[in-house]
Amino acid sequence: MTLLAPPHPLEKRVLLRRFPEPRTEPVWIDEYLRTDGYEAIRKALAMEPEQIVDEVKKSALRGRGGAGFPTGMKWSFVDRKSPKPKYVVVNADEGEPGTCKDRILMGYDPHRLIEGVLIGGRAIGANRGWIYIRGEYREYIDILDRAIAEAYERGFLGSNVLGTGWEFHLSTHTGAGSYECGEETALLESLEGKRGNPRLKPPFPATSGAFQCPTIVNNVETFCAVPDIILNGGEWYAALGTPKNGGTRLVCLSGHIERPGVYEVPLGMNLLTILNEIGGGVWKGRKLKAVIPGGSSSPVLKAEECDIPADYDSLAKAGSMLGSGATVVLDETTDMAKVLARLMKFYAHESCGWCIPCREGTTWLKKITARLEEGIGSERDIDTIDRISQSMLGRTFCPLGDAAAMPAMAIARKFREEILEKLSRADAFAPVEGAQPLVVL
Amino acid sequence: MANMVTLTIDGKPVTVPAGTLVIDAAKQAGIDIPAFCYYEGFSVQAACRMCLVEVEKMPKLQPSCALPAAEGMVVHTETPKVVEARKSTIEFLLTNHPLDCPVCDKGGECELQDMTFRYGLGESQFLEIKHHADEKQWSPLVFYDPARCILCYRCIRVCDEGLGVAALGLSYRGVSAEIIPNKGDHLECDECGWCIDVCPVGALTSGTYRYKSRPWEMNYVPAICTHCSNGCKTTLSVRNGEIIRSNNRDRSGINGEFLCVKGRFGFDFVHNEERLQSPLIRKDGKLEPVSWSEALKFVVSRVRETIERNGKFAVIGSTRTTNEENFYLQKFARQGLRTNNIDHHRSGDVITLVDALAGRTDALATVGDLYTCDAALVLGADLAQQHPLLAYQLRANWRHHRSPVFVVTPGPVREDQYAARSLRAEAGGEVERLEELREELKARQNLVVLYGASVKGEAVRRLVAFGDSLGIPVKYVCLVDYVNSRGAVDMGLLPHLGPGYKPVEIPGMHLDAMMAAPDLDVIWVAGANPLEGGREFASKNAFVIVHELFLTETAQRADVVLPSMSLYEKNGTVTNVCGEVQRTKAGPKVMGTKSDLDILGLLAAQLGFDIGIPSQEKVLDEIRRTVRGYNVPLPVLATGGAAQAAVLNGNVPVDAQPEQVRPSGDTLFTSGTLGKYSKRLAQLMEAPGRLFQP
Amino acid sequence: MPKIQEILKGAAAIAKGMSVTIQEMMNPIITDDYPDAPPVFQERYRGLHVLQRDDNGLEKCVACFLCSAACPVQCIYIEAADNTEQERISGGERYAAVYNIDYSRCIFCGYCVEACPTDAITHGHGFELASFNTSTLIYRKEQLLAPLPEGATGKVKLDHPVAVGDGGH
Repeated sequence: MTLLAPPHPLEKRVLLRRFPEPRTEPVWIDEYLRTDGYEAIRKALAMEPEQIVDEVKKSALRGRGGAGFPTGMKWSFVDRKSPKPKYVVVNADEGEPGTCKDRILMGYDPHRLIEGVLIGGRAIGANRGWIYIRGEYREYIDILDRAIAEAYERGFLGSNVLGTGWEFHLSTHTGAGSYECGEETALLESLEGKRGNPRLKPPFPATSGAFQCPTIVNNVETFCAVPDIILNGGEWYAALGTPKNGGTRLVCLSGHIERPGVYEVPLGMNLLTILNEIGGGVWKGRKLKAVIPGGSSSPVLKAEECDIPADYDSLAKAGSMLGSGATVVLDETTDMAKVLARLMKFYAHESCGWCIPCREGTTWLKKITARLEEGIGSERDIDTIDRISQSMLGRTFCPLGDAAAMPAMAIARKFREEILEKLSRADAFAPVEGAQPLVVL
Repeated sequence: MANMVTLTIDGKPVTVPAGTLVIDAAKQAGIDIPAFCYYEGFSVQAACRMCLVEVEKMPKLQPSCALPAAEGMVVHTETPKVVEARKSTIEFLLTNHPLDCPVCDKGGECELQDMTFRYGLGESQFLEIKHHADEKQWSPLVFYDPARCILCYRCIRVCDEGLGVAALGLSYRGVSAEIIPNKGDHLECDECGWCIDVCPVGALTSGTYRYKSRPWEMNYVPAICTHCSNGCKTTLSVRNGEIIRSNNRDRSGINGEFLCVKGRFGFDFVHNEERLQSPLIRKDGKLEPVSWSEALKFVVSRVRETIERNGKFAVIGSTRTTNEENFYLQKFARQGLRTNNIDHHRSGDVITLVDALAGRTDALATVGDLYTCDAALVLGADLAQQHPLLAYQLRANWRHHRSPVFVVTPGPVREDQYAARSLRAEAGGEVERLEELREELKARQNLVVLYGASVKGEAVRRLVAFGDSLGIPVKYVCLVDYVNSRGAVDMGLLPHLGPGYKPVEIPGMHLDAMMAAPDLDVIWVAGANPLEGGREFASKNAFVIVHELFLTETAQRADVVLPSMSLYEKNGTVTNVCGEVQRTKAGPKVMGTKSDLDILGLLAAQLGFDIGIPSQEKVLDEIRRTVRGYNVPLPVLATGGAAQAAVLNGNVPVDAQPEQVRPSGDTLFTSGTLGKYSKRLAQLMEAPGRLFQP
Repeated sequence: MPKIQEILKGAAAIAKGMSVTIQEMMNPIITDDYPDAPPVFQERYRGLHVLQRDDNGLEKCVACFLCSAACPVQCIYIEAADNTEQERISGGERYAAVYNIDYSRCIFCGYCVEACPTDAITHGHGFELASFNTSTLIYRKEQLLAPLPEGATGKVKLDHPVAVGDGGH
């Protein structure tokens, strides 16, 4: 298991509060109970479900999966009076390149997730939950399974949760290796045992989700934030961040950085502060070239654009997005054509093929960028990339098309000169001196 | 319709029921929004992104096939932004499309071609290598070329939702995604071929039409399928007098686009090399080909001689000839040969039903009623096997309106998949179990009852009594087997009833009596095969005249065989299982054959019978004037419509002879004599695997 | 006098006439010595059609029917058939099993040549089509096909795998 780094003074550990020291062993139930574990669910069981939703609304918690939809609002869309069963689904299909926060949470503090799901289930009146986890996370599936078994043993899960007569069951469901299944409706299709194609929206999962029943689907980190919100109140959590951007969030620093890893920072911390202070700056004393601020689908920021607060709204204003919090740092030696080609290869491979613009667009982009990476191409190709991306943007069935188009467009526009220069070089085929292999996945 | 909304599309105000999709609303306003994956009547996919439109106050372009119309919505379908989006969609599609239009079967009727002409760019900026996957053969009839496929999922939907077969699926992902059959490398399905028809490009091609012709090379003839009694309209594509394919892309008949394997592929019996193309006369115990004039002269002399010595005639009619021919045949027998010994192979007890419902209006269901009724009850029939169109209609009704279907059959049937209740009862005992369904049926607004051949005689009357006791409007369908089985009854090919169920003075022999009678002099078989399965006429010395397409068992016993035409080769009207009269037109030509009407007309003229001019129009005119209920409106027939014959205006005060009702027991892949001579149907029966099991 | 004048006038007329003749005698001959010598055609002369073959001797025609669709007098009749694994007649998936041109109808407009997507049908320079029997004017594929290139059989067995793009599944 990856080692959880020691906390940095600038960090504000809420979700990771049980880890003041580096460690390798997960928090099992005894330790969890010693550190106010399952206190939040006891409190929540005493509350009215509407109160729970209100508390989450007050916390200004926004979905941590990428889209940043307000969680409390999502929960309030579920019709509690519906005669159908309601379901809670945890999106643990952490597939966004560069993202590694959920596995830290699941791997070290599995009971926090279980408690968050219980509270979510209580809030919407559900009796069944699933943790849809990617199959590659074998290790974390085992940890979660053990934690779930512990929770059943101690009566936190089962047909009579803590003697209140409320029934709640939870189990893990293994994904079969598709990035697309991180999209909530595709995840539900996959959960139902079908091919992981996204569904037509509306209806949204809150009205017709898993097995056509009202369902909430939230990211692991979102659920993990819930116990502390219930324990300490929504206002407390909201105050940790900026207005409309409540709480803390996990950032996953990777790429050309001195101290890669997962850190918890309050929302709204300056991006450069995160990189230079917490992450220890660009490695080997090199200069920063660009940052992918929120997972591979967020448009790249040039070094000079990085002096902004890292929250949902500020990044959106800068033309990028906070996404899943995966921050990939690229140093001055990076070949942007190569970055582009690698990203496009990923999206072409992961496109489900359902709709035309995404299926054909990602493949076309992959083929052009693979050529550009080799140094074969012309200015016209860069224009074509831009045109294809625009044709995909906002016209695909699900956001995967956008996720591929946005970074393609950003790199093609912001690093046009660099790619052109590469194409014009006689030795374009030769490797760039001193270039480091880019670790994205 | 309550709850109407008004929206504006391209400046035109359109009022539609709430929930109507914008693409349909636009169609209503006469605006065509292009689409590949949208297919009326099937689930929405929103996958092709061709139908994107601009909606005011919505930031992104919206797929009009998935967007319900809302009050005050303002939609623009041809703005520069929309046109640009469509152009780019076409460009995307063409990146991996092989562009082998000259050798593609779809060339000339391809929706992608049409769209490219309408929106496409003249040149491509795609410089890369196209993705390729090899063509596959899934069944004797279905070929799939994944390279041409644009993944609109129409085929998957018609197979799954339309027929309940679900033999097609989607596999792999991204650009490699392709349609896959249910058995890995081959299909096990109804082989209806609808997937081929709905394919907007040439990805799915038909094993029979492949490479044969091009769309503009053929003549298109509106005909009625000659196999089962459902009376599907099929458009024959005819080139040089030969049927090349058969489908109904214009959705013009009662069946819309639906056809089963027999309708779509079972036409090849027409050009079977065993077709009789010259009359045969038995000389020294062997059938020898002779000229038409010689054969007719021979028949005339024997018939005249028999009439002169007051000999006994027996006439067996066909369930596959037109109403005009049946009418003319019974006139020929009754007025010319002066006999009432006339019958045909009856496969459903229509007579009892007509008597039990006498005097009512709106008591016989149409094919359309099966789609609009509030509930349906199926007794003793495997609809999916024997009445594919009726099965499709019921399924569509359930799919779109959630109208329940109740099934009482001897064995499992495909309707069990979605039936509200499925009961099992021995053949003939179906009506006994109806009481169990009473409460559920009573709760519905109306009901359509379909009953098979095992419900006959008293059971039909009990069924009608049960229907009356429910207190809701009930309509009935008496299921019969072949294309004009119903018409043969209506036209009076019966020993005791003339046309329009008019009793005759001295009833003649029914079919069993004819077979058993030892003293018949002439047995006239006009397009039937009573000797099938080794049966024999008890009259060993009878002179047997047969009109046939092939040398069947009966034709082999004949003294004169007159090669006749199949339904596809002649003009006329036929009556389907629901009593709907439709017109069929002549498509192909087979040299040396004559229609039964021509044969009888020529003979009548030579024999001096005064039974009217043997022209289709004249006979139809006489039918409309004299046969009760058959005064069907000509404009409806002329425009390819179906008009239900109103036959319920009087009692039928005779014994219905229910013991004469015998089902043929055909399945989806058999069709009596014609099925045996269709190589394609025979080939499908031999195909590996389980093609169809209920 | 009038007589002399007449003579002079006559002589002048002859001289004038002869001058044209003599002038023309100096010009190069433009008529052909047909039928004693074969005629010379311009490159783009539209004569009897030729169905071309590719380098392997395979027929170029894929029986797409576009020539017959383009033909204003409907003189082209085609029946298509499927190339099999064992025997290849044309380069495409299908080939023309029957390809007839009715020269009693053909107007040599060249539309078929323009319509052809594979450059299979071209106009040759054949022109001696006259016949006393119109039934001989329907030319079959065998009469229209170009001769086989040296060493080619016109039939290719497909023994090499078809190149497949990067699949990914």
